Amino acid sequence: MKWLKRIAIVVAALLIIPVLTLLILGLRPGAGRSQASVEIQASPEQLWAWIDDGSRLKQWVSWTVDVKPWSPQAGPGATRSMTMRDENNGGMLMVIDSACTEYAPPKTLAVHMSVPDEFEGQMTYRLTDLGNGRTRLDVNSSYRFSNAFVRLLEPLVTPSARRKMEGDVARLKTLVESRAAELR
Amino acid sequence: MIVDPFRPPAAFRLLLHAAAGEGHLDLVAGDLHEEFVYLCERLGRGAGSRWYAAQVLRSIPQLLRLRIRSGELTYLLSAMASSAVPLLLLDRFWRFVYSQIPLKDGLDRAAGFLAADVAAVCLAAAISGAMAGSRRRAAMLSMAAAAGAGIGLWASVGSAPIFYAVAVLLAAPAGSVVGFAKWRGK
Repeated sequence: MKWLKRIAIVVAALLIIPVLTLLILGLRPGAGRSQASVEIQASPEQLWAWIDDGSRLKQWVSWTVDVKPWSPQAGPGATRSMTMRDENNGGMLMVIDSACTEYAPPKTLAVHMSVPDEFEGQMTYRLTDLGNGRTRLDVNSSYRFSNAFVRLLEPLVTPSARRKMEGDVARLKTLVESRAAELR
Repeated sequence: MIVDPFRPPAAFRLLLHAAAGEGHLDLVAGDLHEEFVYLCERLGRGAGSRWYAAQVLRSIPQLLRLRIRSGELTYLLSAMASSAVPLLLLDRFWRFVYSQIPLKDGLDRAAGFLAADVAAVCLAAAISGAMAGSRRRAAMLSMAAAAGAGIGLWASVGSAPIFYAVAVLLAAPAGSVVGFAKWRGK
């Protein structure tokens, strides 16, 4: 009986402590938001193409399989879909619907992204001309998950999403700068 | 090197220790050693060693059967499961967490997640090690825990960097031994 009590206490602690921790962490100010910045040796116009053009976008956003062109044409209200491969789900493909909410080349691109019953969020790419052919790219994203269990896990998901985003912008920097070096 | 003429071949002694259960080892080893010494005196060490090796090999199936009947296999399987199951469950959980990343990601895991895996394996192996009633069983359970950790790593989908694999393979037996040393008899 004593052992049963101990086991029950341990099991309860193993469930309650993580759930409480996740609930508290979920209330932090930056919950669901990710941000990544990078300075790239390229003009804003050169960099813009890598964000706007779907065929280039999929070269640096890892696990992107396909990006459809803007429809009807690039600008606020236009839509495009991105197909991502989910290696953590047996390589399943997931289509993300994007709707452009701000389109100001070569400075700002904001898109609203959603997958029914999964998540919806906003992603903003902001380009700042630093002069001397350098540009800073700031990528901000915020997501809200539909499923209550996933919302609970947000403190685990968001830092992972941020790490992924940092890896992606680092890849973009390498790609853009190596391409620029080839042209020189 | 001086060879003790009345010491049976080391490899077969080890095999006997590995195959025989706790309740039978002393009895079987004692009988075999007695006969071995007698044969060495009469026919020489070579003949005694050959006889010893043949006896050990012939005894293995029966000794293993006795171990299964005495419930030792259950202990070993529990120890293996104690390190394999947490690894597999956590792997499934991390896959779920990563599949919720809106723009998806690969199979590489954050260092914090890998550290949680190592801690969970260590804790589960410690609980399993606490069940061992003797040093010999504790040693067996720690080896089984390491084997279970290996199975867990092999069956996991997430990538396993070398430092992480080594940490898991060490944490399982270490946790088992610590569990035995700290909580035995309680």
